[in-house]
Amino acid sequence: MGFLDNSGDIILDAVLTDTGRMRLAKADGSFKISKFALGDDEIDYGLYDKNNASGSAYYDITVLQTPVLEAFTNNTSLLKSKLMSLNRNDVLYLPVVNLFTTAGKGSAKHSSGTFVVPVDKTTVDNLKGGNDGNGSLGAGLLNGYQPNTDISHISCHQGLNTNEISPNEVLARDLVETQYIVEVDNRLGRIFPPPTAPQATNTNLTTDTQIASATPSFVDDDNIASYIFSFSRNSGYVSNLGGDTESSILGPRGTRLQFRIGASLDTRTSTYLFTQIGSLSTTALANAAGSELAASQWRFIDSTVRVTGVNTGYRLDIPVRFAKSL
Amino acid sequence: MATTFKILTQKDVVSTRNLLHESIPITGTIVSGTYDEPPAGGGLGSSNIKNYSHGLFQSVYDYPALSSSANHIFDLTAGYSNSSALSASSNTQNAKKINIYNEMAQVLVGFDENNDLRRFDEDGDFVNTATKIDDAYFINLTRLLTKDEVKKGSFTLELGVSHIHNNANTASVLLQDSDGNTSYKVNSPAGEYGILYATNGSGTELIDNGTPWKAGLLYYQAGIAVVTASLFESTTTGGMLSGSCKMDEGGNDIDQSLTGSSISGNCDNFRNRMRDLSFNNTTELNSTVYFCRANHNEFNYSANPTYLSASKLVVKNNSSDIPVSYATTVGLYSPDNELLAVAKVSEPLKKDPTNEFTLRVRLDY
Repeated sequence: MGFLDNSGDIILDAVLTDTGRMRLAKADGSFKISKFALGDDEIDYGLYDKNNASGSAYYDITVLQTPVLEAFTNNTSLLKSKLMSLNRNDVLYLPVVNLFTTAGKGSAKHSSGTFVVPVDKTTVDNLKGGNDGNGSLGAGLLNGYQPNTDISHISCHQGLNTNEISPNEVLARDLVETQYIVEVDNRLGRIFPPPTAPQATNTNLTTDTQIASATPSFVDDDNIASYIFSFSRNSGYVSNLGGDTESSILGPRGTRLQFRIGASLDTRTSTYLFTQIGSLSTTALANAAGSELAASQWRFIDSTVRVTGVNTGYRLDIPVRFAKSL
Repeated sequence: MATTFKILTQKDVVSTRNLLHESIPITGTIVSGTYDEPPAGGGLGSSNIKNYSHGLFQSVYDYPALSSSANHIFDLTAGYSNSSALSASSNTQNAKKINIYNEMAQVLVGFDENNDLRRFDEDGDFVNTATKIDDAYFINLTRLLTKDEVKKGSFTLELGVSHIHNNANTASVLLQDSDGNTSYKVNSPAGEYGILYATNGSGTELIDNGTPWKAGLLYYQAGIAVVTASLFESTTTGGMLSGSCKMDEGGNDIDQSLTGSSISGNCDNFRNRMRDLSFNNTTELNSTVYFCRANHNEFNYSANPTYLSASKLVVKNNSSDIPVSYATTVGLYSPDNELLAVAKVSEPLKKDPTNEFTLRVRLDY
């Protein structure tokens, strides 16, 4: 008779991420490990065969054979999807975060399928119809030069995206996301409050431009700035998403995250980044009113703004194009 | 409330210290024989030996020194005390040999209560003034090999002690810190050191005097071996052998070599008699172990995009089915949610409400 394996637990060797090393090198006490999370980036749950005729032992046989990659040291390349704890086992639906892009609400995407951020005055003016043009930038064009003068923003809705449950039903409290992390390349852009936020309406439009961007919680070694926005009564960024509100969520709703994007000083004042990591456009950039930047007259940098629910771990990558007139 | 993070409490974190040892064998032919000697006219040629214009020491590599593949393995030098009977201003590089001895003594032996420099003592007993090592070879092992320190009791250096220069290795002695584990000394400013005892290797050149010969010192943390020059001398002239070794082609004995040859010449002579050198190094590994405990009611769901289809869990048919998830990664986070360290499992770990596990995640420093 063989012996039972009594090793009990598993020992894993951890590697420091680049940010971990950076914080360790700073020696300012910022290297402090206080919590952990489990991730399942490699897992494709579509391989889970819950109807396998051979029985439950065969449901996950393919999933368990998934080869696991070695650890990356880039902190943003790991733990993209996390395991989640819920105190109950009867949850059949989990909330997602979707972009709300319905036309006419200020949060629609540009016709190119992305959000476009004209980064400086010249680019904004050209898209508004000439020098100091007073036209509208239009759908999907986020004014990166003066973010608070334009209604355009990004809106993310959270809830159960299913038509099997009425949107008027209440989303269970433990599934409501109350805190979001927004990650953006700090070399390119900053996060500004949305049009309806208290932070954006405490002055009139002419001085709205003085409203400061949100302060990032930290900027990592790869220049990725992380902003944390929490739900509270006065939060301009996270608000309740009622069942009667027009939404991209089909079922019960949780919260809504809204923000605008402003251009960084570097992109506003220099073409350096557009030359280094950008491209010359081969198509025209037009707004809804027909004003446009002709092909080859502007450069762009494609980037991603990442929204992650802190509690539910759901992640949404939003494509953003920073544009600069030549 | 749904949550993806779990706080680590004080009970979940423990610090440990481990010593890692590597075996370092250096064969004598690498030190002398495999590669060319440095060209007489200067420069390196294809030699693994590097001499310097200052002439104070010689560096030994494990491959021709000009190659980027070469590793520096040790430095070799020789010197004598100002109090040595060999010291004389007419000697070749007399001042440099004294300087070398003094530098090594200053670092490894230190100063007495009057701030006078102490000399190397063959048994570490500075009260007894009769047992000094005044003429010595120094083997400075590189940090690359010794890491944090030489493991006590692991050092063996085999030296050829045949009287004939051209057949130096037909007889040999072994220098070992044989009681290093239990009888090391702690009265050095450079850390702990042990005594190198000489015993016959091949042949019987070493005279049996009833007790092992004390032929040198080994400084464990500094990674420096001090070998007394009397190891190559006959007992009739204060040495340990049945007859004095001819150190060079000219038939000079050790005293003549130390006084009449340069430091690099003495190093060449010493290398010619090095057979094998071996020891274990030590790396002090400080680790923090984080006990990442996934209880039965934790981490049973996933935020993976493939986990849901129209917001419905793909691993469930109805709400009474138990949830299941598969972990492949453990992330260690700062209080502001920055990923600081990461560990991977070798295969997906199934997690559902019927099981729980503890992942011990170790971070080494």
